[in-house]
Parts: sequence; structure tokens; C-alpha cells
Amino acid sequence: MRRSADRARRGKRKGPTDLQIKLVTLVGLLVLWESLSRLGYISPLSLPRPTRLASTLWDLSVYGFPTDITVWLHIRATMSRIIQGYLLATAVAIPLGLIIGRSYLLERGTNPIITFARSVATISLLPLAIAWFGVSELSRVLLIMYGAFWAILTNTIQGARSVDINFINVGRMFGAKRSRIFFRVILPATLPRIFAGLKIALGISFMVIIGVEMIGTVEGLGALIQQARFFYKSDMAIDGTIFIGVLGLILSVLLDRVERLALPWAVGLEEVKR
Amino acid sequence: MNTVNVKVDVAHVTKQFDAENPEQGLALSGVSFGVRTNEFVAIVGRSGCGKSTMLNIIAGLLDPTEGEVRINGTPVKGPGLDRGMVFQHASLFPWLTAIENIEFGPSNLGVPKDKRRELAQGLIELVRLKGFEDKYPRELSGGMQQRVAIARAMAMDPEILLMDEPFGALDQLTREDMQHELLRIWESHKKTVLFVTHSIIESVYLADRVLVFAPHPGSIRKEFSITLPRPRQKSSTEFMRYYEEIYEAIG
Repeated sequence: MRRSADRARRGKRKGPTDLQIKLVTLVGLLVLWESLSRLGYISPLSLPRPTRLASTLWDLSVYGFPTDITVWLHIRATMSRIIQGYLLATAVAIPLGLIIGRSYLLERGTNPIITFARSVATISLLPLAIAWFGVSELSRVLLIMYGAFWAILTNTIQGARSVDINFINVGRMFGAKRSRIFFRVILPATLPRIFAGLKIALGISFMVIIGVEMIGTVEGLGALIQQARFFYKSDMAIDGTIFIGVLGLILSVLLDRVERLALPWAVGLEEVKR
Repeated sequence: MNTVNVKVDVAHVTKQFDAENPEQGLALSGVSFGVRTNEFVAIVGRSGCGKSTMLNIIAGLLDPTEGEVRINGTPVKGPGLDRGMVFQHASLFPWLTAIENIEFGPSNLGVPKDKRRELAQGLIELVRLKGFEDKYPRELSGGMQQRVAIARAMAMDPEILLMDEPFGALDQLTREDMQHELLRIWESHKKTVLFVTHSIIESVYLADRVLVFAPHPGSIRKEFSITLPRPRQKSSTEFMRYYEEIYEAIG
């Protein structure tokens, strides 16, 4: 919707595509950064130049750091943790949010607990998670789940409780039993809000992962950044950060695609709603 | 009224919304009337006179505080398939296409996919929306949305059509088209219709009988039988006389 509006604004003249504009901007900024660094305006000690980051990246993907743990292994470890934690959070938060959101008593009753729990910084639970589940993959996955959980839950609750009463009445007038009203009316009416929660939760998962990988592991981009910092390898730490950003970007784009497929009727509606 | 062909029998219905505030919360007080089979009855009145509340009670979406509504002699205990409703705002599900919205009722009753598609296709033609079957509601104009809502109600083949200011949000020209369409459908499919509106012209144009509701508390102030033959001329002297009498009655 927005893209077609952009195209309309540019008129019929044949201009560069959206992707071309983005790529040129990115390359331009990199060239500027490299030049400023080479001309001595930026000290390579405080901020390594792009060519240096690229050669470090080459080393990382071939030799790895620590030795033999290549960047691909770090990515695999990080992605596996994020996806497991995120999917677990989704699987529990959506049904729970729908139930709480449709019950006045449950919504009232759980409201303060949920507000409290979502205000607790996930990383502060690290010692507790270690005490309960040890320095293990389980601890890391559960912490990511915790971080992602509350955004999905609160958005699902808000969506479910604000379903237009007219929609429910239509369901009742047209012969839908309770369970059908739940699955055919309340669930689809809540989906846009659920997706809003899923997007926020994805961002949170990527924030939490760094802290979660600080302890007890050498695998994962968070661990890589920690190790690099310890050995004063700022180029490596920056490379790790860039990878986290790129992975976050890729997953966000994928989630947008899923949303477009799942909610063809809501495409373009979000700009009006927010 | 002869009890044999009474379709809807409203008997001493009172609705109290706020028990702690009996003066303010009384939406309807001792309302009684009947609707004959295949009769077209309009309810007019100012905002807040309880006309929508009355319709929702007949629909079974609200329970009366006192009194009862009987359909074919059986007391109403909740929504039922003998009644179809067209809401003020079309209330179409935005996640379903036009034809899927029409199929919603039959799908709840377990009508197989090809059967209900065929039924819905026929209704799309009845409300003259051919070519718009696969559009989502937000891609349709207000008038088109109400056509879908009427088709959705017709898909249940109800004996009674309850309509709550269905054309209230439409522009004047669309509104007149829709009134015309509704009469056409009513005449070809013979339904009992209860039509709530705040437009006197609309009520005189459409109905066999007009009930004038008065507020504080909601009750029937007066009743008019419209004996003009259809199609009615809105500019005729007789039409204007009805208009003025009803206008007077609303006060």
C-alpha cells in the first residue's frame, strides 16, 4: 500500500527502484566513513574503518574466534536460541492472552501481576535462571521466552478485550456456538493486534540475547561480542553487532511477509489504526 | 389482533438497564404490540426512545426486565434462526470477503461448502453485487456493505428480518436506492420485517404500519396504518399528510 503510494507520488517517470535507492544510500555512507577514516578525521582505534571490518569478517568466517568457532557457528547458536524462546513464548502467550482478554475477572485479576512481570528486566533474572536451571541452553531459551512473552501477551489481551461487541452479536445472531464465535470471530478480530505484539517481541528477543549469552558459553554472537571486548578487538565486536542487526532485520521482514499472507484484509490498515 | 397470524407478539416489555437508577435507566416501559406474518412494520422515534433496545430484545440479544416476546407463540430465550438481523453499521467481518460474509451463517449450520457457495452466489445476484464477491468490506462503498449485510441475513432464510437503522449512515441517493431494493426483495421473498429508523419519510415509504416511540421511558405513543399503494410517491399529498401526522406524534 505504502509502496504503491510512493510509486504514485514519483509519477510515471522511470526512476530507480526502492532497493536501488536503499543500496546506494548504504554504499554511500560506507564510502564516506572509509574516506573520513583514511583522511584522519576518525581514529581507527575508536572506530575501525569498513575495510578493516570486512577483513575481520573474513577471518571470523574462515578461522573463527575463539579458534574454530566461526561466525556461522555463532549465528547458528544465537538463532537457535532466539527461535526456540520466541516460538515458546508465542505458543503460550497467544492462547493465554485470548482467554484472559475475554474474561473480565481474569483480566482484572492478572493485570497488576502482568504489569509487574513485564517491568522486570529479563537480564536481572539471569542469576535466578541459573539457580533453577543451571548454566544451560534451557536457561538461555527460557530467558528469551520471558522477554518475548509479555509483549505478545499484553497485546493479545488488549486485542481480545476490544473486539467490537457488534461482531460478537453477529456471531450470536447467525447461529455460531461459543467455540465458533471464539475461533471465527474473536481470533481473527484479534490477529492484527497479535501481530503487533509479535513484532515488538521479536525486537525484545534480539535485545535479550546479548545478555543471555554473556555467561557460560563461547558460542553465539553475544558470546563473541563479550570475548572480543575482553581482548580489545573492537572490530570483531562491531562485526558481531552488525550480524545481530542484520539477523533482526531479516526476521522482521519475514514476519511482515507472514502478516501480509495471514491478514490480506488488513494490509495498509495498520497506518490508519496506529 | 387475530392471534392466528401474529408472527411477533411483544407483551408488556419493560427494560431496566440500571437497577440503582430507576428513573434514568428505564429504556422501555410496558411496551406491547404485534406484527402479522409478512407485515412490514417500522418503528420511528427520536434518539433514546428505546427503539433499538426493543429490536435487540426481539432479536434475543437482550433480555427484557419484565414481559416477554413471543415468536409464533413461543417465548424468545435468545437469538434464533427464525430471526435475521441487519445492523446499523453493516458489521461485516473485515477479514472475510463479501461472499464469505454471506456464507458465515450457513457455515455455522454445517451447510457444505459448494451448497453454501451456490446459495451465496444467488444472494449476490439478488442484491446486485455481481463482480464484487471477492472484495473485502473495506473495498466496498457503504451502500454495497449494507447490501452484503442484507444478503447475509437472507442467507439464513429467516421468517423475520430485523433491521436497525440499516440505511442511517448512507447518503440520501444511496439510501433511496436501498429502500427501493429492500421493497423489491420483501415483495419477492415475503418476510416479516421490523424496521427501526429515525426517518419519517423512510417509515412511510416502506411500512404497512408505523409505530411511533416516545422517550422517558420508551413506549409506543401512536400507531399509523399506511394504506397507500406501492410504489409510493414521496411527493404526493397523502404521503405528506402521513408525514405531518407522524411528525406531530413524535413531537
